[in-house]
Amino acid sequence: MRIPARSISVWRLLAAAAGIVVTSAVFLLIFPWQKAEAVPRQLIPFPHVRMVNAGIPCLFCHPGATKSPTAGIPSVDRCIGCHKTIATSSPLIGRLFAYFDQPIPWQRINQLPRFVHFSHEVHVARGLNCETCHGDVGKMDVTVAVYRFNMGFCLDCHAKQPNAQQLKDCGICHY
Amino acid sequence: MSHGLTRRTFLKLSLAGATTAVLTGCQSPRRWVTLEPYVTPPEQQVSGNDTWYATTCRQCPAACGVIVRIMNGRAIKIEGNPRHPINQGKLCAHGQASLQMLYHPDRLRSPIRQSQRGSRAFSPLTWEEALNTLFARVQAAGANLAVWCGSTVPGHLYDIFQRFSKAMGAGAPIVYDADIQLRNYHALRSADQTLFGANALPVYDLSHADLIYSFGADIFGPWLSDVRYGIEYGRFRTQPLGFRGYTVQFEPRLSMTGSRADTWYAVRPGSEGLIALAIARLIADQNLGSAERVARAKALTAAVDVNAVAATSSIAVDDLVNLARRFAMAQRPLAIPGAALAGQANAVDATTAVQALNVVAGNFGQPGGLSLSQPLPDAPIVDPVMSTMVDVQRLIERMHTGQVQVLLIYGANPAYDLPVQLGFAQAIANVPFVVSFAPIVDETAAFADLILPDRTPLESWGYRVASPNFGVPVVGSLQPVVQPLYDLRSTADVMLMMARGLPDAAQALPYADEVAMLKDVISKLPPGSGGGSGADVLFARFQQYGGWWPATSTATPPATASAKALSVTPPTFQGNEEDYPFFLNLYMTILVGSGQGAALPWLQGSPEPMTSISWQTWVQIHPDTAAKLGVTDHDVVRITSPHGVIEAPVYLYPGLRPDTIAIPVGQGHTDLGRYARNFGVNPFRLLGATAEASGANLQWAAVRVKVEPTGKKETLATFEYIPGIRQGFVNKGVPGE
Repeated sequence: MRIPARSISVWRLLAAAAGIVVTSAVFLLIFPWQKAEAVPRQLIPFPHVRMVNAGIPCLFCHPGATKSPTAGIPSVDRCIGCHKTIATSSPLIGRLFAYFDQPIPWQRINQLPRFVHFSHEVHVARGLNCETCHGDVGKMDVTVAVYRFNMGFCLDCHAKQPNAQQLKDCGICHY
Repeated sequence: MSHGLTRRTFLKLSLAGATTAVLTGCQSPRRWVTLEPYVTPPEQQVSGNDTWYATTCRQCPAACGVIVRIMNGRAIKIEGNPRHPINQGKLCAHGQASLQMLYHPDRLRSPIRQSQRGSRAFSPLTWEEALNTLFARVQAAGANLAVWCGSTVPGHLYDIFQRFSKAMGAGAPIVYDADIQLRNYHALRSADQTLFGANALPVYDLSHADLIYSFGADIFGPWLSDVRYGIEYGRFRTQPLGFRGYTVQFEPRLSMTGSRADTWYAVRPGSEGLIALAIARLIADQNLGSAERVARAKALTAAVDVNAVAATSSIAVDDLVNLARRFAMAQRPLAIPGAALAGQANAVDATTAVQALNVVAGNFGQPGGLSLSQPLPDAPIVDPVMSTMVDVQRLIERMHTGQVQVLLIYGANPAYDLPVQLGFAQAIANVPFVVSFAPIVDETAAFADLILPDRTPLESWGYRVASPNFGVPVVGSLQPVVQPLYDLRSTADVMLMMARGLPDAAQALPYADEVAMLKDVISKLPPGSGGGSGADVLFARFQQYGGWWPATSTATPPATASAKALSVTPPTFQGNEEDYPFFLNLYMTILVGSGQGAALPWLQGSPEPMTSISWQTWVQIHPDTAAKLGVTDHDVVRITSPHGVIEAPVYLYPGLRPDTIAIPVGQGHTDLGRYARNFGVNPFRLLGATAEASGANLQWAAVRVKVEPTGKKETLATFEYIPGIRQGFVNKGVPGE
């Protein structure tokens, strides 16, 4: 059986159109220029807003920020330590107790590439607030990355410092 | 379809396919990563910050201090301990690579039982079953118990084995492995006994010397204390006012140290002692140097036929005279008897003769001279006593005749590194129950009925006495720097548990566990540089600083040296010259060492410095000799000694006597994990069982061999282009090519 020549050209047009749609979709997936990114699903939805409204400072759960390159995430013991007595009837806290003897697999929100060195300790010591880079996490029900941590983001701030020349040196972060 | 695929359509489809593949293959650079918090964070752990713990290296008998970097509970790097008096912050390749022992994929994770020896059909069992089995056997064996340790056994564990054996009425534990033979411990102690009346290891102050005569001492290679002597050699070469010490190396194969020396003499194997004696005699006869030196040289040497020595050693008489003059005229000359002397039939004589040159120089206890290791303080600290060949032969004989019911093997691998002629394999077959404590199944553990894997050094407690020590006695501490990876019991705890069930042993070892024992022992040491008081504080400081040593040097005044005339018997060799025309020069490389290093891929993969070969055993042959034999690089040759045969590929090496072939030891394992198994061959198979006259040393360098081509080829994995390396020798004027 032969397909008539005319109908072939219609098929071709349709295929080309579909190709353009697929290609644009793929490009959009690869190069997301949007500022904030899609949010990963956490096994235990964690509302930062409630913690902050309850008066808990950031450093209570992320104590590494003042003394280490990484701020750190709280140990399971630290979560359970309070929630043994607080909001025990909440179904979400019930999920927390399922992890009483194993690490909670949190999905990472903010991440730098491996070829960049960043120290929380240094930035906090210079008087930066957590919100400067992480956005107003204290008002978030679902934690999202507010800024994209690319080199422009870092340099924006570094260039405005009194010792900008030194802070713009490659070796400051890439060593 | 009536028409097939045209070329044009094919290309279009290919292009479409490739584009789709590329586009779908590109992923967003952002991926969601899972973060796992601690359930309970370890003490002292700040996430993102490293923690360094001090402990002591267990890779060789030198016992350097190390510090280990811990990130989030994992050991990730080992460095030298900057406060440690021995290695002063430096560390060798072995120490660095010992990290891989912790994460070795072939580590045993539970006790295992082997139903039939050598079958390697292991079945796991619980600790309760394993300990009950061991206890029943040990109790039944009573005095028919034997313990065999390796040279790196921690002091406290040796102490436990020793007290346990004594309580059972059994003989003292054997401490023996190839390291002890290949590093010349026994002959050096004998020499010091003869010359200075002290059974102690010598210490050479290279830093302040101005001339070194090294008789086969590979100062940078595996020797008495590799790292410390590396540091000292650096200072020797860069002294104040730009002064640079001068080195003369006497050895048949150009070693790493030989390649850095100012003058290298390719002497005949076994003639080193004769050369030393001739140099002393020439100082006496020709009145070279100060009157005291001449007098001492006269007293120490009877008549020596210098011409005969020149003929035996291949050093011309004129050269000998010049060597004697240079030594006698130097301000702070130093003579070092190396490890190569230990394997000769005249090991003790030769080592003593070389050591006597230091007596002639009068440098004993002086800066830039020879001194002796400081004795341990009066405390229950134990330095394992290295066993002689006679001890080993005696134990093997007892095993043969069925006098050993239970054999405990810790850290030694006699099935691999003993000469076959000693009959270890036949003897162990007569032992009803063999227990190994190896963390990875090695050749000896393959003969065991029960394996109770010990924790690896980075997970262990203990102490190690540094020997030799440099000016102050040093007891290095061992502590677990990480949580033990698997549910394993330390061998010390296993033995203490056994002791609890046996009244006599319980009295000798009244400790709940090894930590209680260590605390007790450490608190009895005199005040050290760490300070503090009270058992808990002293024990904490002991771990914090990496050990115990006195705050100030306690150097004892030098003893008077003997002035009895010495003589050196000419070397003898196993195998006659017609049938076996070549001397065999076995040596340890700084990487694989005597065999334990083969388990660690960093050591296996690093190129050996003189040849740049890795993962293999090779045979070094002089280019002229190779031409006569009709072989060249990569040709496999058969090496036959009166005792055994091996086959290995040739590596042409101009830095070698034409009548000698050199082979590195350490490869050719049949067990010891995936990185050691089936790489290279085991040259210990070429050795005989003969010990030299004193009975302490195996004659591992006194074997002749023959070399035959096999027609096979095995390409050597070299890091550098082989002809290029050889050109380096020519450029430096090494004769022979």
